[in-house]
Amino acid sequence: MNENPETANQQSAFEKVVDFVDQRVGLKTLQAKMLNEPVPGGSRWAYTFGSVLLFIFILQVVTGILLMFYYVPSTDHAYASTQYIIHEVDYGWFLLSYHFWGSSAMVVMVFAHMSQVFLWGAYKKPRELIWLVGLALFGIVMAFGFTGYLLPWDQRAYWATVVGVEIMDKTPLLGDFMARFLKGGPTPGQMTISRFFVIHVMILPATLMGLAGLHIFLFRKAGPAGPFRGTPDELKAKTDYFFPRQIWKDMVAMASVFLIICSLAFVEPVVLLEEATPDPGDYHPEPEWYFLFLFQLLRLKMFGGEFGQFLGAIAIPGAFMALLAALPFLDTSKERDIFKRPIALISWIVIMVGILLFTVSAIINREFLH
Amino acid sequence: MQPKLTAKVRCADKEVGRVSKVIVDPISHEVSHLVVCESNGHGNERQVPMSHVREVLNEEEILLGCSSNEFIQFPAIDRDQYVTIKEVEIAHLEDHLHVEPGEILVPLPTLEQGVPRRTFFNNMTHAIGTLIALPLVFPVLKYLMKPMYKPFDNAWFSVGNVKRVKKENIGYQFKFTRGFKEAFMPEQNIEKNIWVVKATPEVQKAVYEGKDKKFHDDAGDVVWVNKRNSPYIGFSGKCPHLGCGYKWRRTKNFPDGVFLCPCHLSIYDEAGKVLDGPAPRALDVLPLDVNAAGEMKIIDVEYKAGVKNQIRLL
Repeated sequence: MNENPETANQQSAFEKVVDFVDQRVGLKTLQAKMLNEPVPGGSRWAYTFGSVLLFIFILQVVTGILLMFYYVPSTDHAYASTQYIIHEVDYGWFLLSYHFWGSSAMVVMVFAHMSQVFLWGAYKKPRELIWLVGLALFGIVMAFGFTGYLLPWDQRAYWATVVGVEIMDKTPLLGDFMARFLKGGPTPGQMTISRFFVIHVMILPATLMGLAGLHIFLFRKAGPAGPFRGTPDELKAKTDYFFPRQIWKDMVAMASVFLIICSLAFVEPVVLLEEATPDPGDYHPEPEWYFLFLFQLLRLKMFGGEFGQFLGAIAIPGAFMALLAALPFLDTSKERDIFKRPIALISWIVIMVGILLFTVSAIINREFLH
Repeated sequence: MQPKLTAKVRCADKEVGRVSKVIVDPISHEVSHLVVCESNGHGNERQVPMSHVREVLNEEEILLGCSSNEFIQFPAIDRDQYVTIKEVEIAHLEDHLHVEPGEILVPLPTLEQGVPRRTFFNNMTHAIGTLIALPLVFPVLKYLMKPMYKPFDNAWFSVGNVKRVKKENIGYQFKFTRGFKEAFMPEQNIEKNIWVVKATPEVQKAVYEGKDKKFHDDAGDVVWVNKRNSPYIGFSGKCPHLGCGYKWRRTKNFPDGVFLCPCHLSIYDEAGKVLDGPAPRALDVLPLDVNAAGEMKIIDVEYKAGVKNQIRLL
C-alpha cells in the first residue's frame, strides 16, 4: 500500500529517531517543561550565577577526571605524578591550572550567588529549603577546596592541611575524633592522602550532585522569586521563559567565566613548591586565598589561648553558619526590597567589608614575614 | 460528545444526581464507571458502570438505562479503594482520556509571543557551547595520548646459558628480569620469559624459510639479523593469538611435545608453526645472540597479538 509517500518522506531519519524516543520517554514534554519556565519580571544577568556554578562544577568534574588519569594518591608518588602532569604530559599544566583556578572561580561564584539570593530576599517563604540546601552546598564547595589542596603533596598542600586539621581538632567533643578521622592517624601521611583523595573525588562529588539536584528540584518546585519590586501587572508584562533569553544570558556568562579561568590558567599556571615534608624550611604556611580571612582572624590577640582559639576558629564561624541557616525562619517579614531591609543590607556590607579587610591584611602581613 | 464532570444524571423516570468522579480502567485506559452524587440530600456517591449509560444527551445531561429504583441498588463508592491520577503514574493514561473541562490553558507571556529570534538564540546557544567544548578536544586528546606511543626499546637482556638446552626440537623456558621505567614511577624490575629451541636443520628451515630474519627499529633501520642457520631459536613468551603465556606440553596426540596455549588451545610445533587452534600466525621469533661461552642475549621485542602480520609494540 502506497498511501502517501510524500508525507512519510518529509520526516528526516533524525526526526524519526527523535519521535521514536519521544513516544517512549516523553522527551519533548520534558524539554518543554524544563525550558518553558516563566521567569517573573523577565530574564536578568543577576540570575546567571547558579547556572555558572553548575557549569564550573561540570568542568571541574571533567578536568578532575582527566587529572586522575595520571595522578597517584600516595606519599611517594603524589608529588612526582603531579609534577609529571605539569611538566611532561601535553597540556597537563593547562588542565591542572584550569582545575585550580576553577575552584577559586567556584568560591567567588558561590559568594556572588549567595549574595544575590540574600539581597533579593529570595530565601524567604516558601524558599527556605532551597536556602538550606544551598548552605550545605556552600559547605561542600569549601570542603572541595580544602581536600583538593592537599593532593599535590607539596609544602603548601601539606601545611595548609596541618593547620586546617588542627583547627577542626578544636571542635568540642567531636574535634579530636574528626581530626584523627581525616588524618587517618595522629599525624598527616599516606592515610591522610588516601582519605582526602576519596573524599575529594568520590564523596564530595556524589554529595554535591545529589544536593545540587535537590536544590534545582526545590527551586523549580517553588518557582523563581523574581525581582523585589514591581506590581503584578508590571511583572507579568516583563515575564518571559527560561529559554531563550535567560539561557542566552547564562551562556554568555558561562563563556565569560570560562575565558577568565582559561586566562588565569595561562597567566598564572600552577607551580608546585618543594615536596611535602614535616620541616617547613623557608616556607611560610598559608591557606588558599578564600580561607585567608579566617586565617588572619586567628592572628588577632583576642583569639589567642585555648578559649580564644575555640572562639575564633569554631564558635564564631559556627555561629555565623547557624545564623545563616536560621535566617529564613528569623526573618519572616514579606518585604523583599533590600532598600527597605536596612539590617540585612548593613549586615551584608559589614560581612563583605570584614572578609575583604581580613583578606587584604593577611596579604599585607606577608611583607613582615620576608 | 464528552459529558462535563458536573453533568446531570437522569434515569428514565427522574433526575438522580450529578457526575462527581470518573473511574478509569488502568489497562484499557477507558472510563469504566461514573460516580454519581445523589441529589436526594444525602449526597451518597454511587458507582454506575458505563454499560448502564444509555445516552449522553448533551454536555450537561446523561441518560441512564435504568429506573431510579434500580439506580439506588448501585454500590456506594468505597473511596479508600481508589487513588487519584495525581497519586499514581500510569503511562499514557492521559493520551486518550478527555474529561471536561478539557485542556487547562495559561496565556503565553507577551514577550514570548512570536519571538522571531528563538531560532537565533537557539543557534547562538549552541555556538557558544561549541566554542567552549571544541578548543578542549585537541588538548584533551593530546593529554590522554602522552604515554600511548613509546619508542621501541632495543636493549639486550641476558636470559641464560644454552647448556641447559640438552635435547633438540624441545621447548625450554628461560626466565629473565628487565628494568622497566614508566612515566613518573621509579624504575622497576619485571619478570618475563622466553622459550628456546635447539633446532635441527629441518626445523631451522621451517622457522626461517631459508632467509635471514631482520629486526628493525622505529626508523626502519636494521638492528639485528638472526642467521638462517643458527641452531638456537628464541620464541617470545606471548601467545600470538591473544597474548596469554603458553607452555611446552606432551599430549596424547603429540607425544613428542608441542607448544600449547591454555587460554584458547592454540597448538604450535617446535618451529612455532600453528598446528591447531585459533592462532592467526606462528610464534614470534626474537632477536637472539649466543656468544662463544653459550650465554644468550635477546632484544625484548613484543608484537601485537591476534593479527596475521607481526606489528611491533615494544
